[in-house]
Amino acid sequence: MLKVQALGKQYGQTWVFRGVSFQVSRGELVAVLGESGVGKSTLLNGLAGLDSVQEGQVELDDTQVLGLSEQSLAHWRRRHVGFVFQAFHVLPHLSVSQNVALPLLLLQMPRAEREARVCDMLQAVGLEGLQTREPRTLSGGQLQRVAIARALVHRPTLLLADEPTGNLDQQSAERIISLLRQQVHTLKAACVLVTHSKAAAQAADRILQLRADGIWPG
Amino acid sequence: MTLLFTLLREVSLREWRLHPWRQGVGVLAVALGVALAFSVHLINESALAEFSSAVRSATGQSDGALQCPQFCDDRVWDAIQTQDGVVAASAVLEVDSYALDAQGKRQALKVLGLDALTIASVAPELLPRVSETMLDRLGFLDPQRLFLNPAALQVLQVRDGQTVELQAGLGLRTLTVAGTVAAGGTALAVMDIAGAQEHFEAVGRISRVELRLQTGRTLQALQNQWRAQPWWPEGARLQAPEEGAQRVSTASRAYRVNLTVLALVALFVGAFLVFSIQSLSVSQRTPSLALLGVMGLSAHQRLGLVLSESLLMGAAGSALGLLLGAGAAGLALRWLAGDLGGGYFPGIAPSLQMSPQSAAVFGTLGVLAALTGGWSPARQAQGMAVAQALKGLGGTDVRSLPPWAGPALVAAGALLALVPPWQGLALAAYAAVACLLLGGMACVPAVVAMLLHRLQPRDDARLVLALGRARHERQEATVAVAGVVASLSLAVALTVMVASFRTGVSQWLDQVLPADLYARTATSSAASDGAYLPLAFVQAAAALEGVQRVEAARTRPIVVDPKRPAVSLVARPLQTGAQGGPGLEPRLPMVGPTLPKQALQAAQASSGSTLLAGYVTEAMEMLYGARPGTTLQLTLATEIGTVRLQVFVMGVWRDYARQFGAVVVDLDEYRAVTGDQRVNDIAIHAHRGADLDRLQGALRALADRASLIEFAVPAQIRALSMRIFDRSFAVTYYLQALAIGIGLFGIAASFSAQVLARRKEFGLLTHLGLTRGQIVGIVAAEGAAWTAAGAVAGLLLGLAVSAVLVHVVNPQSFHWTMDWVLPWPRLIGLCVCVVLAGSIAAAISARAAVSTDAVRSVKEDW
Repeated sequence: MLKVQALGKQYGQTWVFRGVSFQVSRGELVAVLGESGVGKSTLLNGLAGLDSVQEGQVELDDTQVLGLSEQSLAHWRRRHVGFVFQAFHVLPHLSVSQNVALPLLLLQMPRAEREARVCDMLQAVGLEGLQTREPRTLSGGQLQRVAIARALVHRPTLLLADEPTGNLDQQSAERIISLLRQQVHTLKAACVLVTHSKAAAQAADRILQLRADGIWPG
Repeated sequence: MTLLFTLLREVSLREWRLHPWRQGVGVLAVALGVALAFSVHLINESALAEFSSAVRSATGQSDGALQCPQFCDDRVWDAIQTQDGVVAASAVLEVDSYALDAQGKRQALKVLGLDALTIASVAPELLPRVSETMLDRLGFLDPQRLFLNPAALQVLQVRDGQTVELQAGLGLRTLTVAGTVAAGGTALAVMDIAGAQEHFEAVGRISRVELRLQTGRTLQALQNQWRAQPWWPEGARLQAPEEGAQRVSTASRAYRVNLTVLALVALFVGAFLVFSIQSLSVSQRTPSLALLGVMGLSAHQRLGLVLSESLLMGAAGSALGLLLGAGAAGLALRWLAGDLGGGYFPGIAPSLQMSPQSAAVFGTLGVLAALTGGWSPARQAQGMAVAQALKGLGGTDVRSLPPWAGPALVAAGALLALVPPWQGLALAAYAAVACLLLGGMACVPAVVAMLLHRLQPRDDARLVLALGRARHERQEATVAVAGVVASLSLAVALTVMVASFRTGVSQWLDQVLPADLYARTATSSAASDGAYLPLAFVQAAAALEGVQRVEAARTRPIVVDPKRPAVSLVARPLQTGAQGGPGLEPRLPMVGPTLPKQALQAAQASSGSTLLAGYVTEAMEMLYGARPGTTLQLTLATEIGTVRLQVFVMGVWRDYARQFGAVVVDLDEYRAVTGDQRVNDIAIHAHRGADLDRLQGALRALADRASLIEFAVPAQIRALSMRIFDRSFAVTYYLQALAIGIGLFGIAASFSAQVLARRKEFGLLTHLGLTRGQIVGIVAAEGAAWTAAGAVAGLLLGLAVSAVLVHVVNPQSFHWTMDWVLPWPRLIGLCVCVVLAGSIAAAISARAAVSTDAVRSVKEDW
């Protein structure tokens, strides 16, 4: 379970948000809505320890994330966190299966298990048969499926998705959100989905509204 | 065109303002290449022009000269004056000797003995101008008077009316400076011919007769006509006035071309730096160039834009290079007096001869080098797939050379290395070096592709990432490796060449300096008849306490081919019999086997004439075909008249001192044939334990003026020789440093470009759980791997180039061979330094890239 308590982030003298507290259970998809500039992406990065926060605590399955060193944070992210970005960030010089396998390679998983995992994951996201394709030959929707597969292949306990449908048409966006939801439930991951799309948020198990003074049920 | 200027102003200029140091380095690299090439050219041209001018002023209005073999009987002059077709004839005795300056130091001085009554009509600039204070009608005829040209007045620091001590043999003659002569060039003294003959023990001898001919008469026709007449001296020839300057020009040409080629290497390296800089620049600007493409800038215009930037860089570099080159040439002419270590223009003090044409040529070369360097990046910009590039999915499609181009160039290089020299120039060998370098670099993409194809890592994330990246951006990997290959191959080639030559010279010195002490009075073979050691001195030296034996040597310049510089005839003891062997013992650094004494006896029997056993240098074999078993005909003027020496070549030896050839014969045989008892050098073998300093003192005491003799022990000669060697090769050390420096800059630029393009990738890796240190480690390891691959290729290519330099360029240009010496510690050190520097450069670039906020990196559009 992800527990966030009184999280606050400031730039200079200005607080971006303050007093943000919420919990996300394993297998639950929580959507965080908010206006542009309110700090949705900053919140996600704070949860992953990629951005410093000035106050508060983040706890994932009894691990106090914000107290970890850079080395430990990196190790923790490698093992427990999956990321999905708006701009896909699929490495152009690796094939589809190599991109998906990347987290497993970093975890030094044996080849046979890794290949089986990648195969299953690609099947799960509907990309079977595209293993050897280069990213430049894929559509936006397919690229985001690759990114989701990569984010989930190592079975993280926390999935952080930052506007995953921002670059997609409505039809593709719906499919991606549906896929995310399905996979989160299947893999029992806690998922925080940051979006400004109400349509995307509707598919979540719960919606939260981020404001400067905290986070509130949406 | 207007669009191009607008883009240059609005896009390129802003880019340059952002990275002024980078553009500055590019401009500087071109400037250094142009400066080096232009200064070498200016120095050589100025020295040649000065030499030609000196020859012209010394020959004046002469139509030619009867040139004697060393010297002729002066009755030739009487005879030639009566010949049909001769308007005027003036005899000259030319002796190279020395005079003491105000500090008592010996200075080289050419002495011309002239007939004042006839010289005015053939060479007015040699006509003595008697000082006002010493006016008397026949003052010139006084054998105790001489007249100095401006260079001699300056070198000897004397004025009219003062005395000068002139060396003749091993003695000094005190003569009065009675005026001046206008002739330019090296230090020159003119005196009455009878006086010169008397002072230099050359009574009845002349060196040449300057001629003015009737209109319509040619030297060739007159020579054909006179040759059959009884007064015509054997071995003499009629020589055109410009032949002397031409001979020096021809003699120094290979050296000058070699220096120019070396200088052009610097320009080549400069071109490579432009390539690196422009590659980096195009990589960095890929999104903006793609955006301009979307907005309507055509592929051709993108090519034009990047080429124009290179052109501007080249133009700025060339302009700066021409200024630097002219300045460097001016300083070099002042400090080195126009002699760039080759020794072709001794004593010349030329002034800078600027020529707009040559400035234009070298300026254009600089611009061309920059354009060549900028071509590939420009094609990269041209071939950019705009939509893909905007998405950050690569998208550059550069059509590289066909795969056969590299191996074909290497093969062409190997074949060109077998081509003989053209007019004494190793042009094909230089082309071979260029082909090898270009071919080697053209092979790099194929080698990189082969390596990438063979390596299929699956289990290591770092390797998967690195190789995936390298396969995808093969162009950038190729640039990095090519940078290492280009710089390291040049550095390795120059290192091996210099080490081979240096080792060769060092070993050669060991072989040619077996004695304990050496003494001489003439420092060049040209002065061997003006300054020499009398036989009595040598005999007295041999009788000194502590001396085991003295070996005397007589050196005389002999013209074998009028179009080439004189070769040296060295007479020294050959038949010592000390080892008890049946054959001759030349005790020279022989190249290949020598013929047995029986071969000489057989040749004598078959020819029916007396043959002298001789050992020739490699230059004699290469220039005159004097192989073992052949017979050389040498014409020599002697006390007993002109003699024709027939020298049977017994073997070939290596001589790094006389580039144009030398023939060694036995001293006793030489004396028996010529009657010449003069000695130029002595090698003193002391008894074991003898005090060499005391011995030197005793030898000095034998001479009237001890300062006229130069003594040296082998260690001093060796140290001096190696110092001169290192000075002469200083330019190659500079080129090595330049090549390595520019190569490293290229590597750093290339890795910067790669790392810059991978910033988002690093951001993603941070999200996936890699620490910054791990990312820096990955990039450093990639850098190490690529530079190591480049180092291996560069080392192999450099060794191939060095083999051509050592085994082809050197013999063809300088007519001597050397062993191919591989200084492994230095070569491995070079490779290790390059790999280390490449890894560090990559790591530094990566550090800078990962210091960018990972969060921000992934936010940027790909």
